[in-house]
Amino acid sequence: MQGSASPGQFVFEERVSELAPSVLYDEHVKLAGKSHIAAFAGYLMPLWYSSIAEEHRAVRQSAGLFDCTHMGVLEVSGPDAGLFLEVVGTNKVQDLKLGRARYGYILDAAGTVLDDIIVYRRGQTRFMVVVNAANETKIRFYLRHLQEGRAVVDTKSSPWTAKLPKLNASIQDMRDPNRSTDRRADLALQGPACFDTLGKLADGAAASRISELKSFAFVEEKVGGIDCLICRTGYTGSNVGVELFVDPQEAPRLWNLILEAGKPLGVLPCGLGSRDSLRIEAGLPLYGHELGGKFRISPFEAGYGWAVKLDKEFFIGQAAMRRVAESYDMEVARIELSAAKGVRPIRQDDPLLDEKGECVGWVLSAAKAEDKQVALVYIDRKVAQEGKSLGVYYLARSASQAEQGRKQAAEKGQKLEADLAGSVASRFVKY
Amino acid sequence: MAVAQGLLYTKDHEWVGVEGDTATMGITDYAQEQLGEVVFVELPKVGKEFVAHKEFAVVESSKAASDVFCPVAGRVTEVNTELETQPELVNKDCYGEGWLCKIKIADRASLGSLMDAKKYEEYLKTL
Repeated sequence: MQGSASPGQFVFEERVSELAPSVLYDEHVKLAGKSHIAAFAGYLMPLWYSSIAEEHRAVRQSAGLFDCTHMGVLEVSGPDAGLFLEVVGTNKVQDLKLGRARYGYILDAAGTVLDDIIVYRRGQTRFMVVVNAANETKIRFYLRHLQEGRAVVDTKSSPWTAKLPKLNASIQDMRDPNRSTDRRADLALQGPACFDTLGKLADGAAASRISELKSFAFVEEKVGGIDCLICRTGYTGSNVGVELFVDPQEAPRLWNLILEAGKPLGVLPCGLGSRDSLRIEAGLPLYGHELGGKFRISPFEAGYGWAVKLDKEFFIGQAAMRRVAESYDMEVARIELSAAKGVRPIRQDDPLLDEKGECVGWVLSAAKAEDKQVALVYIDRKVAQEGKSLGVYYLARSASQAEQGRKQAAEKGQKLEADLAGSVASRFVKY
Repeated sequence: MAVAQGLLYTKDHEWVGVEGDTATMGITDYAQEQLGEVVFVELPKVGKEFVAHKEFAVVESSKAASDVFCPVAGRVTEVNTELETQPELVNKDCYGEGWLCKIKIADRASLGSLMDAKKYEEYLKTL
């Protein structure tokens, strides 16, 4: 399963295992029917319930409830837990205050992004780490290999190669049903009606502690009588929104309580479809698309250089990140295009053209967001200025189009004729 | 999964309604469910001739683009221009307002290879 492709690179291929239904599977079948449920990262997850557009709108105008129980939730604890995470992650951990969370990356020694993570400090020596569903197995395997001294810590000789395996930190799966206590899985409630909805389910003091949460701060409170860790974080670009970490066995009950309380406020259950269109509209990266993936996009290129603390004493991948920070010439940008009726949607890999018709980058992710198309693109930094006009060429969508001469791929610098015009927008948007 | 009676079906999940020498066609409920929200439909040009099983339209959804194959040999006489502005009709009413195009049948013999509703239902069970 593990090999070595280039120095310090961590190679991991997951065997496809059996699909697991989400712990909320029965609720999804009741709400969406089986036909809208699909396999995602090893789980059977809902794509949409009412429609992607309706759910997208609900999050911007009211609120939406998302099943994120497929996300990996790990506990890192022990006397050296903070130091372990400081070395394994790109952002700072040890100066994190209790009740606060921080975004960062786990890299391999070659600087490849293995995942983007959020670290929550729950105690002096106790942290919760949320990882992507698609990367959970890989990350657990990687961390175990680091602890056992079997993964590369640095491509040069480093004292951390010897020090890291000696750190006293234990890694536990917080979703494990066999864990005796403090089990956690993730639900997200995002949008302006979030606090009014939770206010109906928590007592007055708890409700105000929840609604007063600052961004990336969390509290542990009862919602509908259920123990929750509630954090002001999210993946939709909503200014108002939380993630609720709850015992997976209680997740269906909390799910239904929130939907019932939120119903008069217009709160809707939301699937993976609107989760994607919302995060694209907000400019947020998805691992495999705007991070890592075939372009091996680094945090700097993705617009998150601030989450990579080059001045830390050490983290895995630091030397590679120092090189990238000085030399990168492509970056992730957000572009907006028309979504008028009858306009063919742009797709991943479609080339972007400058005013001369030369390919300067490619679409990474695209979605329809209300009345426009929004795309996250990988583009030459020289042309990625806000307001800059760009063309997009539609690659062949089907065999018949390819037969008629539509290109199936485009290289940088290649001359093409634009099918649709758009322009570079602000990198991020808050709603 | 709805299968409309009185229509003929292909293994690629197109339906055909025959009236005289004109065939109206579209994609089936199974096909639209598989595709998800349809966001764009590329229709053939009126007047163009196709042999049976030739790609002649593309239905794009938020997750995939699918070729639609011409179910019978013939010439396209009319296309559903409503789909240019309302591609979602394919999801909402695939056997009605979501029809794709009309074809003047060139070779009635090609109808013989199509399934009736009962056979198509049985075929769906094998998928």
